[in-house]
Order: sequence, then structure tokens, then C-alpha cells
Amino acid sequence: MSDTPLDLLKLNLDETVYVKLRGARALTGTLQAFDSHCNIVLSDAVETIYELDGNGELSSKEKKSEMIFVRGDSVTLITTPNADE
Amino acid sequence: MSFFGFDASLPNSEKVNSKKKKPLDFDETYKGLGDYELEENDYLNNETFGANVELGTDFDFGHGDSTPVSNPDVPHRSYVAAASTGMNVPQENLDTTIDLKPMESLWGGSGHNNQQVMQQPIQPAEPQILSMEEIERQQRQLQMNPSMQQQGGYVMPPPGFMQQQGPPGNMNNQFPNQFPPQFVPPGMPNQPQFQQIPQDFHQQMYQPPNQQFHPQQMNVPPFQHPQAIEQQQQQQPRPNIQSPQEIQPNQAIQQQPNEAMKSPSVEQEAMKSSVQQQHLQSRLSPQQHRPRTSSMSRQQHQQQRREPPSAEEQKRLQIRHAKVEKILKHSGLMTPRDKDFITRYQLSQIVTEDPYNEDFYFQVYKIIQRGGVVGESNKGLIARAYLEHSGHRLGGRYKRADIALQRMQSQVEKAVTVAKERPHKNALEINDLDKNSEHGRDGVLGKISSTLNSKAPRRQLQIPLKSANSNDNSTSSLGSPIQGNNMMNAATSGALEEVTESLGNVDINAKSRVRRRSSYAFTSVDQNSVLSRSGGRKFVLRLIETVYGEVLELEANLRSGKKIDNNKLWDALHIDDEAYEVCPFVSMLSFDKGVKIMPRIFNFLNKEQKLKLLQIFFSELSHLNIIIISSYKTNPTPSESQLKQIDLFQTVFLKIIVSFLSNNSNFIEIMGLLLHLIKNNNVSFISTSKIGLNLITVLISRAALIRQDSNRSNILSSPEISTWNEIYDKLFTSLESKLSLIFPPKEYTNKIISITNDPQFLQDDTELNLCYYDQAYIWQFLASLALSGKLNHQRIIIDEVRDEIFGTITLAESLKSVNSNDSTYRREKLYQDLNLFLNVMGLVSRDGEITELK
Repeated sequence: MSDTPLDLLKLNLDETVYVKLRGARALTGTLQAFDSHCNIVLSDAVETIYELDGNGELSSKEKKSEMIFVRGDSVTLITTPNADE
Repeated sequence: MSFFGFDASLPNSEKVNSKKKKPLDFDETYKGLGDYELEENDYLNNETFGANVELGTDFDFGHGDSTPVSNPDVPHRSYVAAASTGMNVPQENLDTTIDLKPMESLWGGSGHNNQQVMQQPIQPAEPQILSMEEIERQQRQLQMNPSMQQQGGYVMPPPGFMQQQGPPGNMNNQFPNQFPPQFVPPGMPNQPQFQQIPQDFHQQMYQPPNQQFHPQQMNVPPFQHPQAIEQQQQQQPRPNIQSPQEIQPNQAIQQQPNEAMKSPSVEQEAMKSSVQQQHLQSRLSPQQHRPRTSSMSRQQHQQQRREPPSAEEQKRLQIRHAKVEKILKHSGLMTPRDKDFITRYQLSQIVTEDPYNEDFYFQVYKIIQRGGVVGESNKGLIARAYLEHSGHRLGGRYKRADIALQRMQSQVEKAVTVAKERPHKNALEINDLDKNSEHGRDGVLGKISSTLNSKAPRRQLQIPLKSANSNDNSTSSLGSPIQGNNMMNAATSGALEEVTESLGNVDINAKSRVRRRSSYAFTSVDQNSVLSRSGGRKFVLRLIETVYGEVLELEANLRSGKKIDNNKLWDALHIDDEAYEVCPFVSMLSFDKGVKIMPRIFNFLNKEQKLKLLQIFFSELSHLNIIIISSYKTNPTPSESQLKQIDLFQTVFLKIIVSFLSNNSNFIEIMGLLLHLIKNNNVSFISTSKIGLNLITVLISRAALIRQDSNRSNILSSPEISTWNEIYDKLFTSLESKLSLIFPPKEYTNKIISITNDPQFLQDDTELNLCYYDQAYIWQFLASLALSGKLNHQRIIIDEVRDEIFGTITLAESLKSVNSNDSTYRREKLYQDLNLFLNVMGLVSRDGEITELK
């Protein structure tokens, strides 16, 4: 069985994945679809946007979306969510 | 002696009386009566009775109909009917008889319709013995001593004689003469009759001699009433009642056997020659003279003198007459010995060892009578009485639990036995095959004892597998449906044997011990620990992808009409893969997509594969991730996503199982699945999870349904039943004392409630919020458990979950205080769920009370 990276990604279809994006954003959602450009579709996704305010404090806010398309060029990392997360 | 046995009656009764003194020996009396062998001389029967004699079965032994049929001309009429028709019919006859000649044929040729019928056979016995003097003397004696009249020895003048004497104008009155003059209405003394003599003296010449005959019967009370009516009718101006043949039987019976008879000719001569005698006769029956006056005014005079009977009285007398007729019809048919025999036989039927039970219906009836509320519907009363009496629930009103239990068991067994025997016959009829097939059936699942009851319990069954196979071979040449049947039976018996065998050693066999993990029960929710034992997460995920690929291919083939080959799919499922501690297939179900693909997989599996798949599934239920996360023990704080997983599993996979069980599987397969579950899992742990409880519910309720069905259409054999009972006992034992644990703790339910419900709907009172946790699955489980169980099982169940029952009722009642549509709905729902369980045991809970189900 010759595994390409995307074959491994395929295993996580319909599973919850953690996707790290450019711009201090992260997404957690159920992987619905992907392609060779790493464009992905997530369902029941929660987007976390991290911000550094003036005091250097890290704050975050979350945005929920039922279904979201993520363009592959912003994806930096895809993994399974941590058990404790 | 006599034609109808009246002569013989006296000696007979004497014999009987003498024999009565010693006890009857029934063996002696009836032994072998029915089973005589062919008699040697039977071939002479044709010679004797004729070859083509039609023998009817409609024998009538009553005396009433045994009179000769020799007078077909005379219609059979009741006295009253005859009276009501008036004179018309008789007059027709009279017209023919005015000329004296026809009377000869009427009374001589067809003289049988006269009273003499009975005596005629005897007449030859004493032909012409009495001289006129003797006759006169006898009659005088009778006059002197009326009681002697009954003793007979009386001259019986021929009926035809009166025609010779009676002038044509008086023919109307001839028939009345046939009616006994002694037919005095009850209470009327004989004496007045004699006082009338002077009046009627001038008519002595016309006095028909057959009146002599009547006084004999004067003192026989039973017949006075029916005949009295005749007397009355006779005295009305329509005397031509033509029913002599009806009167015959009675008279015949009363006549004494030794009564001296005269041949008609002798009588006629005697009568002619002796006016004196007629005089005497006339004195005996003076009333008869009046009609002879040949004047209607005379009759009317009589009618006025004597009170005419009212219609009501006539009717009454008619009824009475009919009754007497009925009573006497078959009298004397049975000897005292016969009666004794029958009485003893009947008594033997009602002797019983346990009258309380055997008399069950009377007991219930008594209860109904005692509690008799008139207005209430009968049904409810009976049901209540039955429940109270039979100890349906906990021993009933009288706490006769033991008896109730026994009865229940025996009832069930009886029902099973009855149902069990039916199908063989049906199958036989359908197949229209020889009787060998029946033996084949019987042999396949062992010898079936047909006389099962509580007193003679079923013997342990030996399943003769080899004989089943040989039967298979013997019938194979037939190429009939039976063959397939036998093969199926052989297969099922094999399956049953497997089930029964594995029952014996519920201890894990070597194979399953390898797989069995010591820590399965309380593994963490982390599915990776499970996955690692079945090849790891990646492996399982890869399997899922492979399966998806196979399914997609198969579906494409299906669409394009290509041949379906599910071998690859089957391999991909790794059902038979024993290389891993936990079957990869079970691990596949840990993933939602693994669950979701299942319906599509099932489309391509055959029955055996499905069964095998489910066997593995139930064997490794404890390893199933969904069980772990749905159990409050291993996952006390379920997350929303986990609850969604549970829902998904329920809607997808449970549905598959249910449809498989209800459509494809037979009883043995269900037992096998349940056995797999019990054998390889900690049942009490599984029962703490909602999914696990659902699965068990599905199995046992399906089994209960099949059992109920088979009580009617019967599929189950007794070994199946007993095996089922064993399996159920094992299941119950593993649950016993832990039944209350199937109810999740409040913390758990609260957690679920907070997740699944919009907070704004929840009450402040967390107690009341409990109603938002759907407990239906628990009550469903308990209901099906109780349904399959016997009475003692049900008692244990109730004992263990009593707190929960009352807790639910309390909760439902407390919801009353909350006034909203939702709380009313919730309250209804609580009762509905609870009653699901209670109804099984004949109970119902309503408005805070538990009552018996009506």
C-alpha cells in the first residue's frame, strides 16, 4: 500500500481534525473533503482567532460555522485534535 | 311374553330386585362388551336379516314411537289439535263408515289403530276361553270390587263391535266411545257416574262394549289428566276425535300383563247375546251413554251440566299431557344396573386430588358472585377475580404464590405442548406425504413427549443428530419440500446443539480467552486504547477506507448490473480476523463513518455473513467504543459529541440489527446471539450503558415475540424452549441484584439533560429536571425482561427496581405542581414509560397509584 500524504489525510475523513492556518487561526471540525491542493471542507467547525492586544496579552475568540471551505494555501497543519482539547 | 315386553316387565323387575341385593360387579357386567371378536356365524346375518337392509342410526327406544306403524292412514294428531279441528275430519271418515261394511276393514284390517293393538298378539294365547257367563261374572266382580279392575282379567270387547250396534245416526258418537269413560276430571269421584245410570238406561243397547276396557285404568293417576281432557272434549258436541293411536301407548302400559284378552269375534258374539252385560258395562261408564242418545240436544244438555273446560285449562292439560308423554317415553329403558354404572362413572370424573385448583372456574365464579356488582361490566369483574385469585402478580389475595406459580408454569407448558403438536399435522396436510415424513420431523429435534404437564415434567432431550441425517437421506429421493425442511431442521438442530453446547461452558473457551481483556469493563473513554488492540487507529481507519472503496465498487456493479462478489468486502471487514485482541470490525464501529457505512455493507452480505458479523459484534460488545462512552460508569460526563455518536449508533446500527432480527433470523439464531453476548461480556456492565441495554432489549423482546407467535403458529420445539429458558436464566442471573444499576445516577442524567436540553426550558429544581431524561429505554428493557421471565423473575425485578418505580411516580406527581403544557406532557410520558413495564405484570400506574390492569 503506497501511502501518499494525502492518503493518510483520507483516513481522517469524517473525523474531527485540527487545522492550523496562517494568521494565527486554527480550525477544529469534521473533515468532509479535501483535494490535492489541501483545500478542505470542514463541518461543525470552530475557528479560533488569536490576538495579541497592546499589553501583549493573548486573547482568543471563537467563530462557529456549520460548514466551511478552507483554501489550501492557508493551511499549515492538519492533525487530529488532542484528547484533552 | 308380550309384544312390547310389558308382560315381561314384572318378572324382570323381580329379577333386578333380587340381584340388587348383592353389589354389582362392573367387570362382570360390562367387561369386554365393546371389544368382542368377529363372531363366527356372522356370515349368516345376510340370510337372516337380508342383504340390503338399510340400517338407520336414528333409533328411538321410547315407547311412544314404538307403536306399530300399521295405521299410516290415520294422521298422528294431538288430542287438542284434533279437538280444535272439530268434526270435519272425523266426519269424512264417518261417511265411509256409516255403511257398516267398511268398518270391518277399518277396525279389523287396520284394527291396529285401535286400543287393541297391544293385546292382539296375545289373543291367540287364550282363544275363546271365556264364555259369556264367565264374562258376566268377571264384570260383576269388578263392580263389586273396583280395585280389582286394575287387575285385569277383563273382557276386552272388540272395537268393531260398537259399529254393529250403533245406529248410523250415532256414528258421530262412536269415536267418543273409544275414549275411556273413566276419564273423570281429577277429583271427580266415580260414584256420580253410577248415579247417572238410570238416565241412560234406555241406551244400554247401544252401549259399545269396549267401554269395559276403560275402567281398568281408572285408578292410574298419571293418565287421568291427559285423558280427562279427552273426556271433556268428548262431552262437547264434537266427539269425533280421532286419535286412538295416541291413547294406545298409555293404555298399553297400564294394562296388566295377565289381562285376559278376547278375540274380537268372541266378544262380538258375547255382546250380542247379552244385554245384561252391556248393562253392566254401561254402568261402568255411564257418561258414554249420553252421546248415544243420538240427539245433539242431549249432548248440549250434558255440556251444560258439566262445566266446559276453559281454553286455559285445556292448554294446561295439553302441556301436562305432553310432559307425561315425554317422561314416559324412555322410561324403563335402563336397568338399575345401567344407572348405577353411569352414576359411578360420572362420579369418578369429579374426584380430584386438588379440588382447589381443579375447581378453578368455580372458584372464580364464586368470587364473581360474592363481589357481584351488578352494574359493572362482567369482564372487569372476571379479570379482577382472576387476578385476585390466581396470584397473577405476587401470590394474589390469598398469597398462594406457589400454587399460582405452578399453575402459570403448567399453563404455559400446556400451551406450548398444544402448539407444538399442531404444525406436524399441518405440514403433513400440506405436503400430503406419507407418514414417514412425520417420523422424520419427530426425529429431527428429538423425541417429543406429548404428555407434558406440571406433574410429569419434560424429560431431558437427546438430540439424535445422526438419525436426523439418515432421515434426510431417506427422504432426499423424494425431492419434495420436505427435504429442504429436513435439511433446514438438521441445520437448526446443529445450531441448537452448538448453542446448547456452549451453554454448558459459559466459561470462556480458549479462543475467546485470548481476546478477552481483563480490563475491558473500565477502560478509559480514550478509544485509542481499544484501537491499539485491534491494529491501531491507523489500521482501523484504513480498513474503513477499504471497506468504503469496496462498497462503492459493489454499488457501482449493482448499478451497472454486473455480478456482485462480496468476498473482497467480507475480507475487508476482518470479521474472521483473529490476529487482534479486539476484532477490527468492532473497532471500526468506534468511528462514526464506520457506523454509517454499515447499512450499505449489509446490503451486500448474505444471511450467514450477517449472522456471523452480529455474533462477533455481540461477543465483543464490551469492546465497543459506543458502549463505553454510553455507560455512565466508564463515561460519567459525556460530551455533546459523544451523545451525538450514541444517537447516530442508535439510529443506524440498532436499526440494522432490529430489522435483521425481525426479518431474517429464527429463534435459535437469536438465542445464539444472546448467548454470545452473555458468554463473552460482563452483562451488568453492558446494562449500564444505554446502547447495551437497547441491544439486550432488542434480543429478548424479539425472542419473546417469536415465542408468542409460535404459541399460535408454532415453530418452536421443546428443546428450543428449554434452551431458551436456560439462556434466559443465565442472563437473569448475571443481572440479578444489579438491576437497579441500569438506572444511571442523577449526576449523569443531569449532565445529559444539561447538554441535550435548552437551559431555558429547564426548571430551577434539578429534581424536576429528571423528567427530561428519557428513561423509556430502561423501562423497555425491564418490560421485555419481565415478559420473558417467569413469575419469580418478575418478582425479583420488581423488588429490585421498586425504588425507581416509586421514584418515577413521585416525580410524575410532583410535576403536577408545575403548570405548563410541557410538564403535563412530561408527566404523561413518565407514566407511559413506567406502564410499559408494569403492564407486563398486569399492573398499571395512574395518578400516583399502582393498580391492577383491567
